[in-house]
Amino acid sequence: MAGLKAYPTLLRIGFAEAIAYRAELLVWMLTTTMPLVSMALWSSAAAGQRLGPEQMGQAELVGYFTLTLLVRLITSSWVLWQLTEEIRSGTLAQRLLRPIHPLVSYTAEQLAALPLRGAIVLPLALGLLYFFARGQITSDPWLWLCFVLALPGAWAINFLSMALIGLLAFYVDSTLGLFYAWIGVYTLMSGYMVPMSLMPAWMAKLAALLPFRYMLETPVRMLLGWPLVGGAKDTLTGRAEAFWSLGIEYGYVVVLLVGVALLWRAGLRRYAAFGG
Amino acid sequence: MPDGRGKYRRLIGIQLRISLLTAMQYRWDFLAQGLMQLLWMALSVMPLYIAYKARAVAQGSSLTATDIGGWGFYPATMVFATFYLLKAALDGAINPSLIGVVDHIRKGTLDFVLLKPADAQFLVSTAKFELWHVIDGLAAAVLVGVASQRFSHSGAPVGAFSASAILASLLLLLCGALLLYAVWLLVVCAAFYVVRIDNLSYLFTSVFDFARWPRGVFRGALHVVFTYVLPLVVMTSFPVDALLGRLRPQEALWALVLTGLLLLLSRWTFRRALANYTSASS
Amino acid sequence: MTAGAHVEVDKVSKHFRIHKRASGLKAALRSLVHRDYEERRAVVDLSFSIAPGERVGFLGPNGAGKTTTLKMLSGLLHPTSGNLRVAGHIPQQREPEFLKQITLVMGQKQQLLWDLPPVDTFELNRAIYDVPRGQFQETLEELTRLLDIAEVSRTPTRQLSLGERMKCELAAALLHRPRLLFLDEPTIGLDVSMQVVLRQFIRAYNERFQATVLLTSHYMEDVLQLCSRVLVIDAGTLRYDGDLVSLVRSQRPEKRITLRLEGEPSPEQLEKLKRRGLVQHERTQATLQVPQKELRAVVASLIEELPVVDLTIEDPPLEEVLRDLFAKTKTPSGRAPAAS
Repeated sequence: MAGLKAYPTLLRIGFAEAIAYRAELLVWMLTTTMPLVSMALWSSAAAGQRLGPEQMGQAELVGYFTLTLLVRLITSSWVLWQLTEEIRSGTLAQRLLRPIHPLVSYTAEQLAALPLRGAIVLPLALGLLYFFARGQITSDPWLWLCFVLALPGAWAINFLSMALIGLLAFYVDSTLGLFYAWIGVYTLMSGYMVPMSLMPAWMAKLAALLPFRYMLETPVRMLLGWPLVGGAKDTLTGRAEAFWSLGIEYGYVVVLLVGVALLWRAGLRRYAAFGG
Repeated sequence: MPDGRGKYRRLIGIQLRISLLTAMQYRWDFLAQGLMQLLWMALSVMPLYIAYKARAVAQGSSLTATDIGGWGFYPATMVFATFYLLKAALDGAINPSLIGVVDHIRKGTLDFVLLKPADAQFLVSTAKFELWHVIDGLAAAVLVGVASQRFSHSGAPVGAFSASAILASLLLLLCGALLLYAVWLLVVCAAFYVVRIDNLSYLFTSVFDFARWPRGVFRGALHVVFTYVLPLVVMTSFPVDALLGRLRPQEALWALVLTGLLLLLSRWTFRRALANYTSASS
Repeated sequence: MTAGAHVEVDKVSKHFRIHKRASGLKAALRSLVHRDYEERRAVVDLSFSIAPGERVGFLGPNGAGKTTTLKMLSGLLHPTSGNLRVAGHIPQQREPEFLKQITLVMGQKQQLLWDLPPVDTFELNRAIYDVPRGQFQETLEELTRLLDIAEVSRTPTRQLSLGERMKCELAAALLHRPRLLFLDEPTIGLDVSMQVVLRQFIRAYNERFQATVLLTSHYMEDVLQLCSRVLVIDAGTLRYDGDLVSLVRSQRPEKRITLRLEGEPSPEQLEKLKRRGLVQHERTQATLQVPQKELRAVVASLIEELPVVDLTIEDPPLEEVLRDLFAKTKTPSGRAPAAS
């Protein structure tokens, strides 16, 4: 594929840009307060009690939302804003002129920021995990492996779904509504604000069929050593379930990849037809 | 020639009319945004409800008899609704115009503001209102009303919802809005020194998000921080405490003093920033 | 201080301290502890005075200090040293009575509300400037007539062309009948016909209301048409203060001829061109610089002797004319300035 040779350079440039915009990056990361807001509520709600079918106490809930915060910080991307803006303003044309596939260059930009984000998140992660979630993390090395493998998949699903919505800017004036709808469903179905075991059963079952949980709930529960909720394979437990989930997760990655590729091609044709 | 009060009253009227006309230009956006805010509000009340429900089940009590951090379900809902009421004020009246300052600085059009024979802070603070937030503001007010009504029928303390309680709570609500304004103005002043602060409005709202829960949720050091440093508790929990007749006088005093102090500080900082912009100080 | 002067500038200087923004992680960390400053002198020891009703042009290349001077005169910037007096006030104090007498129009920037028609901005300005209703109506009608904006002023600003927007900008800026107009590159980006319209309007306003006009531009034509007096500024210092005719005549500007030939010029043709004053050539295009007096003769001979496909005559860029001016004032030996 054209431009893959240039990928390391793209990454290097992206990294330099991330450094240049370090203040913005830091602020942007600080805006992810929702898991902490949820943590405040749930740790009070669980004071002296154990909640839900999973019997979650304060320690469990604090551990859950700490991991939610960390996973979210590592796997989110802002490609939606970039894509929409560039399609709208026409600067996408500049990207198209380069010999590298624009989507590839977007991934380079997002990924290049990861080292810097990691540098900010890692000490935070270690600190939070040590003080708040020490007792919650699983000691099973296989589950650790699954967790590490699940993270890139989560990042990919995030990136690709954001790209998918962003590409709709080829067709509709404002993708903002779509984005909010997406975020709304994400909030309900990924365990972001409420652990899925406390949601209505039908919602948990629905969530099991959708990709949202793999962006957040799956890696989090893997590292906590908790089973997935409403899993299709109710008979699988522990490691088996974790590996099975990985499979489904990457299945979704492939599906989204195909979807994005198709939409890109169709949208580009339309973009060229309308003169951008 | 008459000047002073009359002029500023007239100016506010004109600015509001201009914002309304602008909103009418984008009529569908107006409705769509308002509806989206409503949906979002409904979505975010879910965790609150589910938390109380889960705790009620774990304790084996009814929903209305359950408390989290010493706050029952209805009072917690009242705080939640107050949060969204203030959020409507923030997103509708405070954020849009102050964000305009950042824009002005970037485009170099702040000069036009400084050339006008009117107070610069007033001009920039009233420049833009996003009026569709009246929709979600009203919805939040209704929610406060409904929760209050339910609560008054099931376990409200004596002295709640009295005339003086209502007045006090309205006053504290006003303080909350003014506090938001003052803090936001302080944040915007940073734009004079560090031109790229796009994300700061998101940061602001992200920190403000903590104010959706009643003060009982925050314990220890966090409670102190949210009362005396980042006065989120003052903004949303105090008005509800006042409405329920259980706000202590020293707390009300603190709210008033803090509001006054921050308003003065923000005005002073804004003037300093302007002086720096015109290099009055260098 | 000259009595009755509208604008008084006395040995005014403006220095900026700019933080050097370094790139790279190491430099960024270092800058947290130690800041590197650079001093930029935008205006140095400027002195001049303008009488009421005068139309004065500020000429100078980019970065000369023209905009900085205008900003100091309108109170937007504080001078580092020196005295400024405009309409009897000290601009930096920004007294309301002072602000009501001036207006600043900036070429690429606008104060018009974007989503609404200009008339709404007019209303807003009326309230801000406290203009009585009757006077406002009168002024508005007159401005609308002079600028011919009866229809465009009722169209949302975002739907207007640059020229129409500029006209409405001017109207918005003049509704309070200021006695002093500061115009910073008002015609930049506009097509020639619109430039003419704006110049005519400014002249009309000046004559009608006896307003003082200070205009900065790097279009020679603006200043030629509007101003009887020019102040030439370069690198923050005043190089010339006097009437334009004398300046132009003393400069004896040469004309630029740009030729397009049928094919690339042969060596003999190139020799011919060089003799006539060739400045540069590329492929089939050639540029010559020719004294005004010889213009007709040179053009005639060029057309006769060479396969000319296209020919344009224009003034040399202002930067060059001014550079010549500075070179001349700097080298009293009278050596002719080197061509371009």
